[in-house]
Amino acid sequence: MSRLSEENLRGIPMKPYDMVREGLMVLAGVTVVIMLLAVLWGFPDYQPLTLQEVATKEPVAFLQRTVSYFSGDSDLQTYGPPYTPDYANAQHVGFICPACWVGVVMPLDAQRDLVMAPLKQIGMLNPAVEASLKDYDQTSAAQQKTWIKNYTAALKAARAEQGGVVLPAGQYGPVAPLMEAMLNLARAGLLDAALTENANPALAPYNTSYTRSLLYLGGPIMDKVADHFDEQGGQWGMLHMAGPYPGAWWLMPYAFLYQIPAIGNSPNADLIAGMIIFAFTLVLIFLPFIPGLNRIPYALPVYKIIWRDWYRKYPSGDPPRHASVTQVDDPAAAG
Amino acid sequence: MNIDKSIQDRLKTHLTLDDAFPTRMPVYVNSFGYFFGTMTLAALAVIIGSGIILALFGPGWWHVSGAGRFINAVHFWGVEIFYLCVILHILFKFFTAAWRDGRFRTWALGWLIFVTTIFSGITGTLLQENWDAQWNAQQGKDAFNALGLAWIHWLDYGQVLTLHVVFFGGLVVLFAASHLFAVRSESPVRPIVDGSKNSDGAREKAR
Repeated sequence: MSRLSEENLRGIPMKPYDMVREGLMVLAGVTVVIMLLAVLWGFPDYQPLTLQEVATKEPVAFLQRTVSYFSGDSDLQTYGPPYTPDYANAQHVGFICPACWVGVVMPLDAQRDLVMAPLKQIGMLNPAVEASLKDYDQTSAAQQKTWIKNYTAALKAARAEQGGVVLPAGQYGPVAPLMEAMLNLARAGLLDAALTENANPALAPYNTSYTRSLLYLGGPIMDKVADHFDEQGGQWGMLHMAGPYPGAWWLMPYAFLYQIPAIGNSPNADLIAGMIIFAFTLVLIFLPFIPGLNRIPYALPVYKIIWRDWYRKYPSGDPPRHASVTQVDDPAAAG
Repeated sequence: MNIDKSIQDRLKTHLTLDDAFPTRMPVYVNSFGYFFGTMTLAALAVIIGSGIILALFGPGWWHVSGAGRFINAVHFWGVEIFYLCVILHILFKFFTAAWRDGRFRTWALGWLIFVTTIFSGITGTLLQENWDAQWNAQQGKDAFNALGLAWIHWLDYGQVLTLHVVFFGGLVVLFAASHLFAVRSESPVRPIVDGSKNSDGAREKAR
C-alpha cells in the first residue's frame, strides 16, 4: 500500500474486498438496464427538416423566408458577429461582449450567399431565370425595393395550389419568377446541396459545413416545428427530445435561467445565462474553500445515515488511533 | 536524475498495486452510495463501447438497420444513465464532504469531467442527424456565439464529429483516468468526525 494510503487509513478497521469483481458485476447490471431501455424505448429519430420538405409542404412560408433574405430584411442579416459586422446587435453585458472579441469569423451575406448564388446557378440551366436576374440587376434600387415590397405584401394573401403558389395580381417584376425558381430548386432537393457546396467550393466535395442550410431554415420555420414539439427555450426545450424522450435534463439549472422573464426575454439571454452558469460552476468547484457552503454537509445529517453502522460503533466518528498499527482487520467484517 | 527511479518513487508514494487493485477496504465503505461512482464508470464504458461500434459501421448503418438503431439507442440511453449515476455520485460525495483530508484535487477533477461531458453531450446531440440535432444546432449556435465560441464551427458536421469522438471523448477518458488514479491513491475519505476533531486532538483537515 502506498505511503499516502497508509497515512490515510492508519488505525482504520478493514474488511476483505474485490474491486474488479464488484466492478464487473456493476458493469453487467448497468449494461442490462441500458439495453432494456434501448429495446423498450429505442431512439428519438424524427427525420431532419429539409428545405425540400418545407418548400413542398409549406411553400408560402418558404417564399416568405427566401424573400426576406433576398430583400435583406431578415434578422440573420443584422445578426452581428460571427456572421455580420453589426456589433451593436452582439449579445453583451456592459463591456463584456465575447462575440465582439471573436469578431466576424464566419462572414455571411445572406442575400448573396443564400439566394443570389443559387439563382445564378439555376440561371446557367434556365435562360428565363438568367434573364430575370439580368432584369433585376439592371433596375434601379428604388424599383427593386418596390417589387420586393409588393411581392412580400402579396405573399400574405398567397395560397398554395396544385404544387404552385398563387399570388394576387400585382407588380412584382422579375422578383416573382426568381422566387419561384428558388422554390423549384428547393423542391427538387437541390438547394441544401447548393448551399453546402457554395460555402467553400475549394473544399468541394468534402465540405461538411451545413451552416448555411441550417441558418436558412432558422427563424419562423424551425420555430413552428419546435413549438409543435414543445422544444422552445421557454418550454424547458433542452431537457427533452422531440416525442417522449428525455434530453439533457442535467442542464436543468441552465434551462431554469431561461424561465426567468428578466433573462429569458432579454436580447442578451444566452450571455447572461452563460455567465451565471460559469460563476455557479466555479462556486461548485471551489466549494471546499467557501466558508459556510463547505459546512453544509456537516449541518445536514445525511452523512450520519450513510455511515450509520460506523457511528453506532464509533459515536464520535473517530476510532482510537494506534500509531504503531497501520491497519487492523475487522474480525466481524472478515467473517 | 533517473526518470524511472522518480516514477517508482511517485508510485510508491501515491499508487502501489495494493491501491490500484485493493483486496481490503475500510469497513466504513458500507453504503449503496459507494456504487454510484462505479455505476457512472460502467455507463461510461457502455457509451464508449457502443460509440466504437457506431464509429466502425457509420451513419449509413445506425439510422437504417435494426442492429444499428439498437446500438444508437444504447449509446443514447447510456448517456442518460451516465448522468443519473454521476449526479447521484456528486450528491453522495457532497453529503459526505468527500473533499476532506487533501482530496480537493479529486473533487475538482470530478467537476472538470462533468463540464467536459456537457460539451461531449452537446456535440453528440448535434451528430444525431435528426430534427433534434438541427434544432439544438440552431438554438445552441446563439449560445456559443454569445459566449465567444463561434471560432469553433458548431454547424460543421465533420468538425463536430472530430470534437465529439477525439477531443471531448479523449478528455473525458483522460480526466476520468486521473480521477480514478486520485481516488485509489487517496483511499475512501473517513467518516466525518464529530466536532471535526480527531481522537489524537488534531483537527480534521477541511480539504
